[in-house]
Amino acid sequence: MQNNNEIILKAINKSYQKGDNTVVVHDNFNLTIKSGEFVALMGPSGLGKSTLLHLMGGLDQPTQGEVWIGGQRIDNLTQKQLTQWRAQSIGFVFQSHHLLPVLSAQGNVELPLALTPLNRKQRKEHASMALQLVSMSERADHYPKELSGGQEQRVAIARAIVSDPQILLCDEPTGNLDRKTADEILALLAKLNSELGKTIVMVTHDNKAAEYATRVINLESYILSQNKAQAEAQNNKMNKAEVSLGSNL
Amino acid sequence: MNIWLLVWRNSFRKKIRFALTCVSIMVAFFLFTALAGINHALTASVSSINQYRLMTSHKISITRSLPINYQQKIAALPGIERVSYASWFGGFFQNEKNQLAVTAVEHTSYFDLFDEYKIPKQQLAQWKKTRTGIIVGQSLANKYGWQVGDKVPLSSSIWMNRSGSFSWEFVVSAIYQSNKQGGDKKIFFQHAYFDKGRAYARNSLSWLSTKIAPNADVEQAIKSIDSLFTHSNSPTRTTTEQVFVQEQAQQFVDMAMVINVVVIAVFFTLLLIVCNTMIQTIRERLNESAMMKALGFSSSSLITAIYLESLLLLGIGAVLGTLLASILLGFIKQSLADFLPGIYISPQHYITVFALVNIAAAFCSFFPALKIKSIVVSEALGGQS
Ligand SMILES: Nc1ncnc2c1ncn2[C@@H]1O[C@H](COP(=O)(O)OP(=O)(O)O)[C@@H](O)[C@H]1O
Ligand SMILES: [Mg+2]
Repeated sequence: MQNNNEIILKAINKSYQKGDNTVVVHDNFNLTIKSGEFVALMGPSGLGKSTLLHLMGGLDQPTQGEVWIGGQRIDNLTQKQLTQWRAQSIGFVFQSHHLLPVLSAQGNVELPLALTPLNRKQRKEHASMALQLVSMSERADHYPKELSGGQEQRVAIARAIVSDPQILLCDEPTGNLDRKTADEILALLAKLNSELGKTIVMVTHDNKAAEYATRVINLESYILSQNKAQAEAQNNKMNKAEVSLGSNL
Repeated sequence: MNIWLLVWRNSFRKKIRFALTCVSIMVAFFLFTALAGINHALTASVSSINQYRLMTSHKISITRSLPINYQQKIAALPGIERVSYASWFGGFFQNEKNQLAVTAVEHTSYFDLFDEYKIPKQQLAQWKKTRTGIIVGQSLANKYGWQVGDKVPLSSSIWMNRSGSFSWEFVVSAIYQSNKQGGDKKIFFQHAYFDKGRAYARNSLSWLSTKIAPNADVEQAIKSIDSLFTHSNSPTRTTTEQVFVQEQAQQFVDMAMVINVVVIAVFFTLLLIVCNTMIQTIRERLNESAMMKALGFSSSSLITAIYLESLLLLGIGAVLGTLLASILLGFIKQSLADFLPGIYISPQHYITVFALVNIAAAFCSFFPALKIKSIVVSEALGGQS
């Protein structure tokens, strides 16, 4: 059942134009995440972690470079195509749950299914299953304001997985939670990764995340080593060129 | 859970704001419908008038009288079928509070011209033979309990009779009905009795009614009547009855104009209010909209939702306002029957309301739509909010 959910960021450049200045967030950035990985993306604020997540999820487009998800290139899709693609391919979990206050937990989880051809009964069943997966069945009829922060985040996770996307992108999902609740959420994500095979990329400041993830990327050192490797490769080329130049002389 | 439920729930999220906006929409549509009903009365009373009856009165004012021999002079003109005349009596019954529309009419011809009054043949014949006879409308007869044969004294606020009294003796000869609503509240009596009986201004009349031949030219007939008296002491002004009534109703029309302007202003204000409400609404929900976009909802589906929400808000207000006005008009229709018969709300009016609601909803979702389109999900959700 393992599909190809590989995430490939190829020679990404992402920059913003601020008046006359160009702010470069990423330059010639490369990253590959294999199907079934649970990656914890760590590092100081402002380094561009969220930006990477948005690029992977088609919420943002690179200035240059290519984004490949499951063998499909998505950086050149139109907004409309991206929207449709997102609905079936990606589940998002943000630091803030962004649940709709007017809908119950059940209603919120059912929301993405309104975009699918499922009928009313099937939508209900799928949503119930998702709520069960996050251990929130008992609270299905509760409204967001009647839930605790951890419970809200569980419902948000149920909403992210209800249409069965193979990739979950989480931006500091435990950022607003206390230690105990954060652990529960991390365990839940690990379960979704190990039992359902979801590929998960999670941006986090939580050092304990390393205990749950299958790979930890410290963005700062990752970028440094990448730059070093590139510089070396560049040097090697130059050296070779010099050598060949010298031999020719 | 479906989009309808979401629209419904979102609508009632801010209950007080919803209620206040709804009430302002209600007021606007109430005014709109009430005015439409009254407008209909104004135009209906004008357009139901026979085109081929001409009214001739004194050029300067309807209150000035004309010589009675104008009847023969007009009748002698080509293209004229029948001429009758009438005078205003200005009557009341018992005391001045019971004002009545009493008219003295040339009894041999008047009801040939005005066949909209339904009078039993026998009673009409009897009336023509009775010098002091009156024909009263059915609802007046009901109101005062008058029956054929009853003696009824009526007073005039204008005309003294030869015995120096303002009270005139009458006997009920006939009771008429009218197929026009509120049209059965008049009293007619013989002009001959009036003319012989009054203490002054004898041999005069207030206005002439002329029926022209079906194939005659209306404009031509009007011209030939008025040119007949141009150089006399009493020049005339002839109009079609339609114009005549229209001029009488001009004050209503002016009033309607003023109300029309007010309604347009109210509608405009309403549009701004609802528009503002929707813009505020979408601002408050930017994060939610961004989240829905992240989930894979397109801008157009979110715009549809906000359109439906505007539609629901406007729809509820419009239905309540229109309903209220319809009910109210139903009630005042009866009491205003004399003053303004023919209050009526046409089915087309409801279609207009429906169209207006849709247009307004589209207008009010325009700016929210721009806002929705411009949401950048990564910016809206990336932050810590
Ligand atoms: N819309 C934007 N316009 C300009 N600069 C932006 C925008 N979005 C992000 N940035 C900049 O990109 C950098 C990376 O942001 P972000 O990916 O949110 O970092 P992180 O998630 O690692 O804290 C920051 O310096 C931020 O100021
Ligand atoms: Mg971030």
